[in-house]
Amino acid sequence: MKNVVEVKKLTKEYKELKAVNDLSFEVKEGEILGLLGPNGSGKSTTINCILSLLNFSEGSIKIFGQEMEPDAYKLKEKIGVVFQDVAVFEELTVIENIDYFCGLYIQDKGLRKRYVEDAIQLVGLEEFKKFYPKQLSGGLLRRLNIACGVAHKPKLIILDEPTVAVDPQSRNNILDGIKTLRDQGTTIIYTTHYMEEVEILCDRVIILDRGQIIASGTIDELKKLAKLEEKVTVEVMELDSKYIKEIGEFKNVEDVTYHEGILLITYKKGKNNLVELMDYLKNAKIQYNKIFSERPTLNDVFLELTGKELRD
Amino acid sequence: MFFHNFKYSLKTLFRNKMLIFWTFAFPIILGTLFNMAFQDIEKNEKLDLIDIAIIDNDYLKNNPLFQETFQVLGEENGEEQLFRIQYVEEAEARELLSKNEITGYLVLEGINHPKVVVNHNGINETVFQSVVEEIIDIQEILKNVSGKWIQDNIPDLTQDINSGIENFDSWYTVIYQDIMKMLDEENIRIQDTSSDHLSYTMIEYYTLIAMTCLYGGILGMSAINQCLANMSSNGKRVSVSPISKGKLILSSALASYVTQLFGLLLLFLYTILVIHVDYGTNLPLVILLSLVGTLSGLSLGVLIASVIKSNENTKVGIMISFTMLGCVLSGMMGITMKYVVDKNIPIVNKLNPVNMITDGFYSLYYYDTFHRYYFNVISLLAFSFLLIGISAFCLRRQKYDSI
Amino acid sequence: MTVFKTFLKVLKSCKGTIILYSAILIFFAVFNTTSGDNTTNFVAEKPDVFIINQGEREGITKNLIQYFEENANIIDIKNEENAIRDALFYRDINYIIYIPENFREDFLDHKNPTIEVKSTGDYMASLADMMLERYLKLANIYHETFASEEEIIENLNKTLSEKLEVEVTSKLDTDHLTQIANYYNFANYSLLAGCVFVICMVLFSFGRDVVRKRTIISSMNYKKYNRKLLLSNGLFAVSLWAFYVLVSFFLFGSSLFTIHTIFYLINSLIFTFCALSIAFLIGNLVHNREAINGIVNVVALGSSFLCGAFVPTEYLPDFVLKIAHVLPSYWYINTNERLKTMEVFNFENLKPIFLNMGVVILFILLFVVMMNFISGKMRKTNS
Repeated sequence: MKNVVEVKKLTKEYKELKAVNDLSFEVKEGEILGLLGPNGSGKSTTINCILSLLNFSEGSIKIFGQEMEPDAYKLKEKIGVVFQDVAVFEELTVIENIDYFCGLYIQDKGLRKRYVEDAIQLVGLEEFKKFYPKQLSGGLLRRLNIACGVAHKPKLIILDEPTVAVDPQSRNNILDGIKTLRDQGTTIIYTTHYMEEVEILCDRVIILDRGQIIASGTIDELKKLAKLEEKVTVEVMELDSKYIKEIGEFKNVEDVTYHEGILLITYKKGKNNLVELMDYLKNAKIQYNKIFSERPTLNDVFLELTGKELRD
Repeated sequence: MFFHNFKYSLKTLFRNKMLIFWTFAFPIILGTLFNMAFQDIEKNEKLDLIDIAIIDNDYLKNNPLFQETFQVLGEENGEEQLFRIQYVEEAEARELLSKNEITGYLVLEGINHPKVVVNHNGINETVFQSVVEEIIDIQEILKNVSGKWIQDNIPDLTQDINSGIENFDSWYTVIYQDIMKMLDEENIRIQDTSSDHLSYTMIEYYTLIAMTCLYGGILGMSAINQCLANMSSNGKRVSVSPISKGKLILSSALASYVTQLFGLLLLFLYTILVIHVDYGTNLPLVILLSLVGTLSGLSLGVLIASVIKSNENTKVGIMISFTMLGCVLSGMMGITMKYVVDKNIPIVNKLNPVNMITDGFYSLYYYDTFHRYYFNVISLLAFSFLLIGISAFCLRRQKYDSI
Repeated sequence: MTVFKTFLKVLKSCKGTIILYSAILIFFAVFNTTSGDNTTNFVAEKPDVFIINQGEREGITKNLIQYFEENANIIDIKNEENAIRDALFYRDINYIIYIPENFREDFLDHKNPTIEVKSTGDYMASLADMMLERYLKLANIYHETFASEEEIIENLNKTLSEKLEVEVTSKLDTDHLTQIANYYNFANYSLLAGCVFVICMVLFSFGRDVVRKRTIISSMNYKKYNRKLLLSNGLFAVSLWAFYVLVSFFLFGSSLFTIHTIFYLINSLIFTFCALSIAFLIGNLVHNREAINGIVNVVALGSSFLCGAFVPTEYLPDFVLKIAHVLPSYWYINTNERLKTMEVFNFENLKPIFLNMGVVILFILLFVVMMNFISGKMRKTNS
């Protein structure tokens, strides 16, 4: 598969701070690449450098095999961007906003009209065509924001945290929309600090911290890095420390903690760990309210790699 | 592409109702206020009736010249009325003077010794003074002319004193009448060749037009901020689109230019039809000057928007500051300012776009030749293209260090 | 404290504009004190005359020029068509006399030559006109009686030099007091424009939706919040006032050490608070950066023009002055004008001044009440 984006040894400095440090990665045609990292990890800076909005001190960026420059217009035609901030004109209606931004790419009026309609349908704003941005809720505004960025049907779409502060309904709508775009063959770079979204959407993930890649790969590959397979949580009112010790000696158990009525057991690997645990609790006649098992998340990966939570 | 962006920029500008209202309405409001403040100032330059007092004493009663002259000049609704006169005692006159109820008073302190008492120097005081001086003149003339007569007739006088005196008396009456007639007659020839176009308050309206032209820059600035990645998120989005920035900014700027011209048109219509401002007779040249003037404002806005890397507050502040300073220097807060700057530090006003516009209108209104007008138009064009050139240079292939 | 800190931050971004309004005021004051211009300052009683003599400066012609040299200000400008035209338009000269080439010969030949003049048609020009008429009439009359040029000139000068005794009663240095009054009148514009612009910018920054929501839900109640903002802005306004006062001392120096000054200061301080309250009211009503520009101009320039900050009040039409009564600037400027000619400070004379100040204070109260009412109401509709 071809590389759509190639970033090599990218370094960007703000005075003392290295916002991006020696970053190299590529994005393959047709995939959704997730850029994951906490606030201030350099995601947006990387995006702005790729788009040639920011100067950078070192490195090179190629898109579709071509060097990216502020006046590389042929290249820009193929790219669609949805920024973190909502970027629409207060004075224009939903349909006018989309038409305006689409018109910067598509000259043919008939084609543009169709594209605008498609974009509206994609984000589900059919009922709000004549609304002004002021009249839209936060979630609808985000959807408009996305429609403006992708209406011209680009080959590469860059989405910078498109779901910040969005209600669940709009979020689902947005994620569905992105899937649709992927299915149409679009390459997508998606930055976020919500790992659930990454797990749902992305084929491949790059985890950034302090401007550096700390891990990359498919979700399954990354999860292996977390060095754990299963997490079991039990709500127990009272628990003698001798039981905790005994549980700790089970097969595959990595760690056991008990704190304020919550028993947390992490397993390195294995299957049917839960059944074994439930049997043990039943035999020891320990009363518990709830018991549930979780697969490891990217947050666990992040925790494992950096020692801190992804969500701050 | 160009037209697409132009159309939407225009739409965006016209739908920003606050912006449109204030940029269009405030010059009209100011024009109205100017009109209210100035409509009397030039009329007032013609003399009003002056309140004076004359001390009613014996010397006055015995001086028919003074008595009669002031009777004529003080006659209620008389054709030659110049004064409103009260005949009072000196103490009362002093009292009136201290209350500023009269400009001054006249007292005859001897047969040929008139005195005028006033509070301070001033126009009315000077007028009062010169009227009294004119009466003294007449006395002097009579004295000198009759002296000459006596001199010429000395041989007759020595021969027959009685008939001489008799002759003198009749002659004096004749000569008195002659002199008064001569004074009354407009036999002197003074030809006033002043231009009719001397209404200097026009300058105020010209500065107002100039100010409006320059404030067009604010529209240009806000339109261009929408194209700049470091000023707005819309700018970021526009910056990643496959359109050359030059094209984009040019069409946005053109949209704000058209908007501003529309506002200027309203102002012109208002000042011409409602407050009767005189822009001279050459309408095409007035239009040319407005077009060029608005262009200079726009180019200033473009320059500030593209060269100064700061927040919008600062940019607007700089724009307003520059314009207001230009307005002061070209006479908005006192017309004399323009003249003094023009005369003493001409380079300042030659570089001041507000003054180039104001001076252009002034030369259309007041001058018969067009050299000065074209000099201003060319200066404005040079100013605009220089600024646009600098902006274009700064915007070329621009990337930012931070957004 | 956070309110104040944020305030300072916003203030910093407006510093260019503040410097500008101050610069305009100072520029105007310096200009007004150094140039004896006559459109803003009508106390000079001699007209400014420019004489272009196309003949020889001999005999009656010479005498005519001398007469104007003694009784008018002969203005020295370049004898260039444009310079002369401009000078006349801007009232640098009131009157231009063109003495024709053969004036002297034609006069002595009883041809009664024509003298061409250009005039601005104002007070000063008519004074010059009267002088010229007087001279020519006398010359003609004496020419009837006397034959020789010397005799005519001798008698003419004897008559013209006959001076009237004029007693000037006032001991006040009106020139200086006028300058000071003009300075404070002009400060009406600078104070208003400065306060409204800066405070609107501040409130605009504070009033942006997010910030407003955050402050509404913060523990501070909105009245207390308003008070804190008012305090910060008040501090700014008073500093601005203090700066202008300082500048006035610098400009006028020792001539300010009179009782007049105290009243000028009190009056302008009260007005500063009034400007503050106006600014606050506008800032609470308008939340649009682009609009602020227009509003500042209408409020500051408008009331300055209507109330006589630029144009002396005596030249404003009566109905304008009547309308101006509804603006606080009118009362402020009226006080300055009264002080200009005040010689004796007693209760009787000061009564109208105290009345004016009282009216301005009433305006302040009115604006504050309106502001609280509006900001309270807006807070509710926005939440």
